[in-house]
Amino acid sequence: MGVVVKKAELSWLDRTYVWPVLKGMAITFDHFIKQLFTPTSKRYTIQYPEMKKEMPDGYRGLHELKRFEDGAIKCVACFMCQEACPARCISIEAEEFSDLNITQGFEEKRPAQFKIDMLRCIYCGMCEEACPKDAIWLRKDYELAAYDRLSMQFGKWDLMNTYAEADGKDRISQDPTPSVPRRTIVM
Amino acid sequence: MFITFALITLLGALGMLLQKNVIVAGLFMVAAFFGVAGLFVLLANPVAAALQIIVYTGAIMVLVLFVIMMLNSHEEEKAQSSRPVQRWVSVALVAALAFGAVKLVLASPGLKALAQSGAATPEAMTLQKVGVTLFADHLLGFEVAGLLLLAAMIGAVALTKRNL
Amino acid sequence: MDKLASLLHTTPAIAWMVLKVVIVFAGVMSLAAIFTWVERRGSAMIQDRIGPNRAALFGKIRIIGLAQILADGIKMFFKEDLIPAAANRGLFFLAPFLAFVPALLGFAVIPFGKSFVSGGTTYHLSVLDPGNGMGMLYPLAIGGMAVYGVLVAAWSSNNKWSILGGMRSSAAMVSYEIGMSLAVVSIFMTAGGYDPAEIIKAQGHQPWTWNIVRQPLGFIVFFTCMFAETNRLPFDFAEGESEIVAGFNTEFGSMKYSLMALAEYSHMMTASALIATLYFGGWQVPFVKDPSVLLSVACFVVKLVFFAWVFVWIRWTVPRFRYDQLMKLGWKRMLPLSMVNLVFHAWRMSQGH
Repeated sequence: MGVVVKKAELSWLDRTYVWPVLKGMAITFDHFIKQLFTPTSKRYTIQYPEMKKEMPDGYRGLHELKRFEDGAIKCVACFMCQEACPARCISIEAEEFSDLNITQGFEEKRPAQFKIDMLRCIYCGMCEEACPKDAIWLRKDYELAAYDRLSMQFGKWDLMNTYAEADGKDRISQDPTPSVPRRTIVM
Repeated sequence: MFITFALITLLGALGMLLQKNVIVAGLFMVAAFFGVAGLFVLLANPVAAALQIIVYTGAIMVLVLFVIMMLNSHEEEKAQSSRPVQRWVSVALVAALAFGAVKLVLASPGLKALAQSGAATPEAMTLQKVGVTLFADHLLGFEVAGLLLLAAMIGAVALTKRNL
Repeated sequence: MDKLASLLHTTPAIAWMVLKVVIVFAGVMSLAAIFTWVERRGSAMIQDRIGPNRAALFGKIRIIGLAQILADGIKMFFKEDLIPAAANRGLFFLAPFLAFVPALLGFAVIPFGKSFVSGGTTYHLSVLDPGNGMGMLYPLAIGGMAVYGVLVAAWSSNNKWSILGGMRSSAAMVSYEIGMSLAVVSIFMTAGGYDPAEIIKAQGHQPWTWNIVRQPLGFIVFFTCMFAETNRLPFDFAEGESEIVAGFNTEFGSMKYSLMALAEYSHMMTASALIATLYFGGWQVPFVKDPSVLLSVACFVVKLVFFAWVFVWIRWTVPRFRYDQLMKLGWKRMLPLSMVNLVFHAWRMSQGH
């Protein structure tokens, strides 16, 4: 089935070519003036280092390992994320810890090491989905670059501190002694 | 100044003759045209110089180079057999012609008169004078030339258009 | 100004000549350099972008990106100068100069300000004084030479795209030169002279007596042909980056490329100076009968910059022509139009206007 395409009929004014060019020039000049007098903050272009794009909700950027109020890690080293990870970039070493005063005799688990290789990570968010404790999530930081490969290997403390400044929290570098037994919290 | 422009002209012409590469030869010819334009300026005729550059280097040589590029034959073909006799005969003929021409010019009465009275300073040519010369003094010649060119143009169109 | 002019009495005429050459060529070249930046910023603004605004002097003084010119220059200077193996080396070296020199030389006859008398001598503000006998034929002749830069560049780089670009450009230039010359001839006719000084004088200081009002048709033809002559965008056939890579300067890099680019902008300056002189009264200040010298120079520069900006403006408005459209426009529209213009003004003059 052929389709008959009707050619636009040009008036004699349009066929002089000069008049349409003038009209086009008016349009471009309009854009020029508008852009010239738009303040930088209102232009489409985001001037990157000074201005940053606000990422939408659900954006999957750099990971954070969540912590409790007192600074203890939420992760219980269940290895679910490591299993779920399609890129196999997470490697966890678990450890047991028990403090009779706090854990009331229970043995609890936590990661001794929690490594994510950011060069391998594909930011799919599967670890976030798999986590039964909501201990890992992908947030909005997208500025992931480094000068060498080693600094893209994030360890446990790096991951816990990734958003410390943004959230106004202290940077922590050792497991605190929990003030309350966890069991009473998780209901 | 005269020596400079004459040298440019002659070297350009020589280069054009000796250069094997057609495009480079064409560029040498442009240089020769420039020398001629300079000579025109020295003869107090800047209009002729400007027209020389506009017409010859600006249009004709560009078209010639255009055609050479389109045909894409940049290297001269080797002659199939060298003909030494013809070559020497032609050199001798050209030399004789040049000698005769120089002798004629030197023997002309105008030159003798010039040598006695000295050259009058030529009046600068302007476009207005060119117009007067063409349209008043040499109107017939101008019109005939125009007619000839028109006929040539029509002939060229008739030759190239397959069905009119 | 008078004090400044009286300084001239102490200097020999040759010094004044040298001064003029330096002023004109330095002015044109720096304007051309600035317009590389104007082109980029202007195109960005037209397309709702921002354009180069980051380059900064000493990493601090940003001056809206003007340092980009310097940065580009330094970058071009230190780039490797590649010459294709099969290129014709001599011509490959020569080509940028052949492109650059005619682009600058065309400016020589154009008066960029009012002549002034000081101490019994008249000083003309153009490199070649009026009455040199070449007049407006000189820029036309030099404009015809500009095509050699493109042709030589195209052929010497021994590249199919380059040769295509050079051929298209040379054919286009030859076609448009005819229409342009006829448009200029009708100005010679009405002005009664072919010296730029006479043409400017004949136009007077009232904007409605300028040639743009008297010969609008001729202006359109001349303006269009100027685009073809400068190889700028609606007639960008030498380069044509969407069709033939980069046309004649595909193989050119580093300083050679930068010279080519600068040649294009210098050509643009010369073209806008020609437009201002022929159709917009040259250095004449509108409504001012006898302007001071500085005012006339300023007015000329304003006109020059404005037309150069129009070149940029049109480049980012109109898309490139197809090659057959270009030839059709050149031969079937521009040539008859300028013919009609010429015959009309000849008829008007014969009627005694």
